Amino acid sequence: MTSIFEKLWRLGPAAFVLKAIAAAIVADALLLAFILIRRAYRRRYFARRDARVFEWRQKWDALLSGEIPYETWRNKPFDRDIVESMALDAFEIAETEESARLLNFLRISGLIEKRIFEARKLTGWRRMRALVALGRTRAPEGIHTLAEALRDPSLEIRLAALRGLGRTASPQAADEILQWVGECGLTVPAMPLQSALIHCCAERPQALVPYVQNAKGPLREILGRVLGEVATPSVDLDVLQLAGDEVDELRATAARAYSRSKSGSAFDVLSELARDQVWFVRLRAIVSLGKLSDPRSVPVLVRALKDSNRLVRLRAAEALLQLDTPMVAVFAKVVETRDRYGIYAYLTALDNANLRAKLAADIDASTDIDAVQKERLHAVLETGALPVDPRFHAPEKNPVLASRR
Amino acid sequence: MIRLLEISNETLFWYFLASNCAYLLMLIIAFFTSARHQRRLKSQRLEWIQNAPLVPPITIIAPAHNEEASIRVAVRNFLELDYPELEIIIVNDGSQDRTLDELRDAFMLRPVRAVYVPEIPCARVLGIYRSDKDPRLIVIDKLSCGNKADATNAGLNVATSPYVCVIDGDSILERDALLRIMVPVLADPQRVVAVGGIVRVLNGSTIEGGQLRNVRLPRRPIEAIQVVEYLRAFLIGREAWGRANMLTIVSGAFGLFRTDLIRAIGGYRASSIGEDFDLVARLHRHLLEKRADYEIRFVPDPMSWTEVPSDLKSLARQRARWQKGLLDVLWPNRDMLFRPRYGRIGSIALPYLWIFELFAPVIETLGIATIILAACLHVLSRTFFIQFMLFGFAFATVISIGSVLQEELTYRRYKDWKDVALLVSYCFFEHFPYRQLHMLWRLRGLWDYFRGNHAWNQPKRKGLVSAGVS
Repeated sequence: MTSIFEKLWRLGPAAFVLKAIAAAIVADALLLAFILIRRAYRRRYFARRDARVFEWRQKWDALLSGEIPYETWRNKPFDRDIVESMALDAFEIAETEESARLLNFLRISGLIEKRIFEARKLTGWRRMRALVALGRTRAPEGIHTLAEALRDPSLEIRLAALRGLGRTASPQAADEILQWVGECGLTVPAMPLQSALIHCCAERPQALVPYVQNAKGPLREILGRVLGEVATPSVDLDVLQLAGDEVDELRATAARAYSRSKSGSAFDVLSELARDQVWFVRLRAIVSLGKLSDPRSVPVLVRALKDSNRLVRLRAAEALLQLDTPMVAVFAKVVETRDRYGIYAYLTALDNANLRAKLAADIDASTDIDAVQKERLHAVLETGALPVDPRFHAPEKNPVLASRR
Repeated sequence: MIRLLEISNETLFWYFLASNCAYLLMLIIAFFTSARHQRRLKSQRLEWIQNAPLVPPITIIAPAHNEEASIRVAVRNFLELDYPELEIIIVNDGSQDRTLDELRDAFMLRPVRAVYVPEIPCARVLGIYRSDKDPRLIVIDKLSCGNKADATNAGLNVATSPYVCVIDGDSILERDALLRIMVPVLADPQRVVAVGGIVRVLNGSTIEGGQLRNVRLPRRPIEAIQVVEYLRAFLIGREAWGRANMLTIVSGAFGLFRTDLIRAIGGYRASSIGEDFDLVARLHRHLLEKRADYEIRFVPDPMSWTEVPSDLKSLARQRARWQKGLLDVLWPNRDMLFRPRYGRIGSIALPYLWIFELFAPVIETLGIATIILAACLHVLSRTFFIQFMLFGFAFATVISIGSVLQEELTYRRYKDWKDVALLVSYCFFEHFPYRQLHMLWRLRGLWDYFRGNHAWNQPKRKGLVSAGVS
């Protein structure tokens, strides 16, 4: 058997190895040349672009008002890209009046039509870019095209369309998204769908309610989560129905939504949800009770300090500190629970909020408790250890009984 | 004897060819993946994530051991990161210098009685502090166990977010790094369980007020060669493995994980030498055994900048430790090899690591020794030998320049022409004698491991001082 070296060597002077060396050296040279040429080109391109941006910025008002004829820049891709990106960036931070002016400019100059055309006709990443740009214009006429793209077989395109619709932040876009999920179910990951719906449903959360009631499985949970985020007092009654739903996530939604409720029944609903079997429902209810700032919440929150879940205990402690009630009285109630985990959660929240010194001063100044109790509370505050309960004191030794033994 | 030498030379030739072809394939995959990633980003704007509701919170865990020179800058950098919901945990891992005092002074720490449940075992925690300046900052002071894994576990016990981002206490993150690393998670939170970001060489660059200002190539050749290595490893290797969902390493200097999963597998293995590799291997095992549909992704644009060893001795120790770490993970996981239940990880990724990473120093050293012997015995054509070496040199240089090109096409962090020219020149010069030295260090690592030296040797660092902190 001949060796590989011999086999290769026998190929002659124009051998494989020589060719390979040549190929590798050429590849090295080409890579180097590419790097150098690209650097030079980009440098020139960005310098040119920068100069052009500056030029357009100087003429910005004339550009928007149409004083500068649109044809002067519309037909040159380089200028069109610059003007469009400047307009869209300005749109992101514009007030109502300026938004209207920019939208009008985008419309009259035909940029929206162009994006609609691209979003319909192009494919791949170009279409994705067009969809997002169309969404950024917030033009109502673009919503239908974006909604069409939601039915595309490609997930990337669907996501781009969803992002675009989210950027419009309009109730019509919300209707399109909801109609689509109603027809096709959950065909995109939850997070982008939630974000888009939260943006679009903020103005009109009622649109979500029928979908939350009729959807099934994970989609219902997602829609519920969105409703919890955008709910206003106007949907209190619908949310109330969710408080008794068999799906955990929807009960949590109700708990979340009730933090913004103005209804008198909010406290009762949340107190009930704070007893739920599922920890995250209790967690949501406790957080919402803290936000309600209702003094009636104290017993519920103190009870939650004894919860089996660490996060629920911590949030209950934080909620207690948010309440506008005397801290000393609350702390005394916490100590009365004689629950080591609960007391620790409260002390942790106290430390995190840097309120320990204030509580110590309040205890000293309090006229509602006697000196013994003050000392007891101070001891717990300093050491975190449970106070000795007189009811559980060991009986003093009975000398008679002792002698009998 | 002569036949044996011939077989050895042939083996070396095929081994070398296979290794470089594998890298070439990865380079091609990396080019396409990177281009796809860049295009995808065009339909996404990072500020939308920053302002999005319901974005999951992240806890940054940064273990710090004797980092008095750099800890202030690093923490300031973490606090300035763009992310809506952030918790930062610095674990002072038994520092004997002024690390804790520096933190206390700079961030007004006060002791808190946080609920500490040692769910994952770690060395004793001496105290937990929270910053009065920024309540997002928590500092854990603990006894040292001599390794980063134990310190990270202490941080995991305190973390309250669904995602943890583990980084080095002397690393600098780019301002939008967390937003970028979360892009794949937000797109598919059910499947994506971990994401690795890219780690770049900080030496030579300038930091101002906790932010990286001027990226420059380090002046010292030993540091600059590591830049080429890092580019090759991350922009080619990890990008390609990540594309095929076969990523086996998420760098300990910058990686994001789902907290519940790390806790489910018992956190980092405190006795491991390469704790980052070990964690990902156990994560794969855990999820594959559960037949879970998951992904571990690599994202090339969220950048962490870290200091690399600047002297030969430290570099040798670091590389020896990496090699030990590799063996320390591959050996206990040898049962995953070629078992159908472990899918691509067992049939492609791990065998690759065994053959082209673990055995590489042994095979290459033996191969070179036999080539020399063959030459001495006049069984090797001298002309062919020179041509073979030239071919090898040129082929390997293509891969290295390819990684520089990849950086040029995508991120272009080195703005100065001179830096790029130098970087390219190092692609030519790293093959001799750096490569041979590197091989010897790795051999030394294996030797140490077999002798029972499993110590976690921390390389000597200058702190961020090397990066011209101001």
